Amino acid sequence: MIQVKVKCFSQVKYALGTHELALELEIGTTTAELDKLIREKADGKLDGVSLRVAVNQKYVPEETVLDDGDEVAFIPPVQGG
Amino acid sequence: MVKVEIVNGSIDFFPPDDNRRQDGAELVFNGRVRATEHGENIIALEYEQYDGMAETELTQLANETCKKFPIHDLFCNHRIGKVSVGETSLHVVIWSKHRKEGLEAMIWFISELKKRVPIWKWAILEDGTRIPSECKH
Repeated sequence: MIQVKVKCFSQVKYALGTHELALELEIGTTTAELDKLIREKADGKLDGVSLRVAVNQKYVPEETVLDDGDEVAFIPPVQGG
Repeated sequence: MVKVEIVNGSIDFFPPDDNRRQDGAELVFNGRVRATEHGENIIALEYEQYDGMAETELTQLANETCKKFPIHDLFCNHRIGKVSVGETSLHVVIWSKHRKEGLEAMIWFISELKKRVPIWKWAILEDGTRIPSECKH
């Protein structure tokens, strides 16, 4: 098993009711699989919301395999400026 | 050269520079908070960032802009936290030899900022209610 930290912002924070989650996952879990898990936890509140994924503060492809200790963020549409 | 900073508090504006002998254009953009959102009066926007990644992405974007366009320098300050109506949330200055490349660089930089820098905002209504801000202009 691996431990990852999920940082939550904006709509994701609102949908999950927290700014951070600590999760234990199977070795070999991908960001796409974690995305699915996060959406299930959100109970429909993230349906239709486009999420980009960042691992250790860098955008990564959807099927990136996670490592123990990774910091993951599912980034909803940004709104700077 | 680029200078980028994300600040929680009022912005220190970059001053005009009269010592640039090769730059014919000094372009200044100040993004300010409007008084209405979705037709409702607001008192402020509240900005949230992904601490660390937002400044890293903004710096990378500023460097990319300097490579993509023949400009000399790009300085940018972005506020987070509560920004009241009328105040500046985004301050960008670009220096270039001619206006055309500077103007094009400014438009591209701000458009990309709104696509990739992990910063979000909420509008605060007069009664204190927070609603998502969806302005993408």
